[in-house]
Amino acid sequence: MDYKVDIRDIKFQLFEWLDTAKLLESERFGDWDLEQMDMIVDEALKIAQEQMAACNDDGDRIGAQWNDGIVTMPESFKPVYDTISEGGWIGLLGSPEYGGMGLPETVGTVVNEFFSGSNVSLSLTLMLTRGVGAMIENFGTDQLKATYVEKTYTGQWGGTMCLTEPQAGSDVGASTTKAIKQDDGSYLISGEKIFITSGDHNLAENIIHLVLARTPGAPAGTRGLSLFIVPKIRVNDDGTLGEANDVACSNIEEKMGIHGSPTCSLVFGGNDGCQGFLLGEELHGMKLMFHMMNAARIEVGMQGCAAAGGAHQQALAFAKERLQSRHWKMMKDPEAPQVAIVEHPDVRRMLLTSKAYTEAMRAILLQASYYLDLSHTAEGDEAKKYKNYVEVLTPICKAWCSEWGLQVAHLCVQVHGGYGYTKEYAAEQYMRDAEIACLYEGTNGIQALDFVARKLPLAGGQPIKDLLGMAEKTFNKAKSDPELMEPAWLLAAGLKQVETISKELGKRPDGIQLVLINAVPLLDMVGTCLGAHYLLDQAMLAKTKLAAILEDAGIDTDDKKAYKAFLSDNEEAAFFHNKVQTAIHFAYRALPTVPAKAAAIRSGEKAALYAIM
Amino acid sequence: MNCIVCVTSVPDTASVIKIGADGNQIDEGGIKWILSPHDEYALEEALKITEAQGGEVTVVTYGPARAEAVLRDCLARGAHQAVHVIGGEETLGDSFKIAQTLAAILKDREYGLILVGVQSVGTDNSQVGQMLAELLDLPHVAGITSLEVGEGTLNASREVEGGKEIYESPLPALLTCQKGLNEPRYAALKGIMAAKRKPVEKIEPSDIGIDEGAGAAYRLRSLSLPPEKGEGTLLQGEDDPAGAAGNLVKLLREEAKAI
Repeated sequence: MDYKVDIRDIKFQLFEWLDTAKLLESERFGDWDLEQMDMIVDEALKIAQEQMAACNDDGDRIGAQWNDGIVTMPESFKPVYDTISEGGWIGLLGSPEYGGMGLPETVGTVVNEFFSGSNVSLSLTLMLTRGVGAMIENFGTDQLKATYVEKTYTGQWGGTMCLTEPQAGSDVGASTTKAIKQDDGSYLISGEKIFITSGDHNLAENIIHLVLARTPGAPAGTRGLSLFIVPKIRVNDDGTLGEANDVACSNIEEKMGIHGSPTCSLVFGGNDGCQGFLLGEELHGMKLMFHMMNAARIEVGMQGCAAAGGAHQQALAFAKERLQSRHWKMMKDPEAPQVAIVEHPDVRRMLLTSKAYTEAMRAILLQASYYLDLSHTAEGDEAKKYKNYVEVLTPICKAWCSEWGLQVAHLCVQVHGGYGYTKEYAAEQYMRDAEIACLYEGTNGIQALDFVARKLPLAGGQPIKDLLGMAEKTFNKAKSDPELMEPAWLLAAGLKQVETISKELGKRPDGIQLVLINAVPLLDMVGTCLGAHYLLDQAMLAKTKLAAILEDAGIDTDDKKAYKAFLSDNEEAAFFHNKVQTAIHFAYRALPTVPAKAAAIRSGEKAALYAIM
Repeated sequence: MNCIVCVTSVPDTASVIKIGADGNQIDEGGIKWILSPHDEYALEEALKITEAQGGEVTVVTYGPARAEAVLRDCLARGAHQAVHVIGGEETLGDSFKIAQTLAAILKDREYGLILVGVQSVGTDNSQVGQMLAELLDLPHVAGITSLEVGEGTLNASREVEGGKEIYESPLPALLTCQKGLNEPRYAALKGIMAAKRKPVEKIEPSDIGIDEGAGAAYRLRSLSLPPEKGEGTLLQGEDDPAGAAGNLVKLLREEAKAI
């Protein structure tokens, strides 16, 4: 695959829109400076384009192979995995004490976009390995930390999270995997887990599974779950590898997409010889697992954004090359030459909609990551405030970005016409791969329920009030700009609907039913308002920067011809001009869905409950 | 063994090149500057040699202030220190002046090998390495694709039409490097972090006796972009293939002057 991404927008959002410089003033990130951040972004992109993308096709076409209990990855994956591991990219967020690089989440999110957009299958192995390292670093004993953390941050050992069982999918509390304490303090693990991403592979010499299991006498449901470290191969006291730990991969799934990612069924303790080590305390398993799941949910949201960003760039390049039909101004002249399809208004609409949703997703994900960093650099109530912002934004990151990632990937197939349905172009793979992000890490339906039931009322509703309050400020700022005035009022109308529908539902006798039916559209309404808020905020910044460029060049925007000619010759000015057009387009095309959804919810329509199914 | 690597900052090969207002320089607006791709092979080889045999890698560039970024890139990949002669706007493309400047910097330094990219991506003159070797009175091999360094000697090979030339040379020596020699590494995050603390020695040309405005061997008078590709001509041949073939030959002969 030839991986393309809008690096200018990424750097704009990271360095010009977000105050990344301020983060680097903190003690936690004080060893880094902006110049290094820029180098990291460039180097990660280079690795994504030259290495990850180069083995993407093998992942998709050859895929992970299961044979007699052993999973083999495409040959081209291993050297790329090694380059990334040795470069420190797996442990980029981890503590330097354990071989991590201690970088801000905000930068990590950008790196994730590149890795996920260029080869989502391989990026999943990296993501889970990093997640396991972080979990053991945060909750492990000194001995567990010394044994496992550095080995995972450096990619020598891989990692997984093992929740799902055949009868316990979204209902994790139904898990039956058992853990029985042994005299030496370890636990004997037995049970079956399914849908385990990177559950077995030949990229690393060992794999460290984090397994949710039930101790004898534990209460039913998620409260009875504890979390265990279960290595594929046992680790000797001196850190060397010992005998196999009775973890067997019984199968891998045949899937719609992410063929280069082995989705494994794992049998723990089939021969009564699977040793596990408690992470944290007994019965705290689900609470701990949420730490890994929350991080993973933001990363899965990024999969949606990365698929959208990659697909949009592919579609844009295709639309500039593919000649078809005449220009709309000459549509009645059969002798007129064919033009590139990027000239056709319908194609332009699809391309700009794709661009707008991609940039809105990117903004939501980067803003959430930035708050996560602030929650680490601030203290006391301030830190708590930012942590709560992340809590509220997490289901939006996951569900809104994965859903719209898939929709954008679809639009980009559409831009390609019939060619988009063939394997000759990357568009169809992006679309196939994007669906999984809507499903795993808690389906988007589960995310929406988490959002309305837990996140909206969090801390007395203050965090969501703050976040929407910031959107209100953007409205107030943008409404005085003639060009952005109407988009700003569309935002205000959306915000009003979000506010009133929440209050109304709380008072209605059928409120609970309506919330359960409408959690997904409710989440979409908030995600759309936040997306518009961030894009309008970015548009105002872009306008300032564009004005400075135009002033320097002596260009009068009232002279439309001169302005257009200048834009065609000045990439930077065109970029800022497009940021403004993108925000306007998103406001007119996305924000009107908010009052529409509110009207449907407010009507109290419950046909889905009444229909006979 | 200590190695010196001479590097150049060039526009990213994906950049769209525009001519500046003065007509003899490119418009630097919107250009991303990178380490010249051929220099990556030179740096990688130096890093491999010093990792195997000990010693340090010093990267040297002669270029404007922005060129420091490529030195940091080299330091992030593992070079130990850097030297930056700040200047070069006046002498762009003047291979001899560039070689003289580099020679003035390197003449009193201690090294076993000087490695240079076979050419810089930009002016593509492919002269600086050889000129520098002559000025420093060093043996040199141009465009190598393999290298073995022993005690006081080296064996290097270069591709020539239909074959390969193998050279043996005493050390110290100068080699220009090209694709095929190795696979350049990526900067590791630890390397990027460490690069900030590694020393970059900054030198003005006048400090080493170089007058950039004097004795130019080469001046760029003007630059122009290649003519834009015209629209293709489609010859309809369904009804009269022989006639269409005749037309094609005529066009190839008279317009394209290809035959």
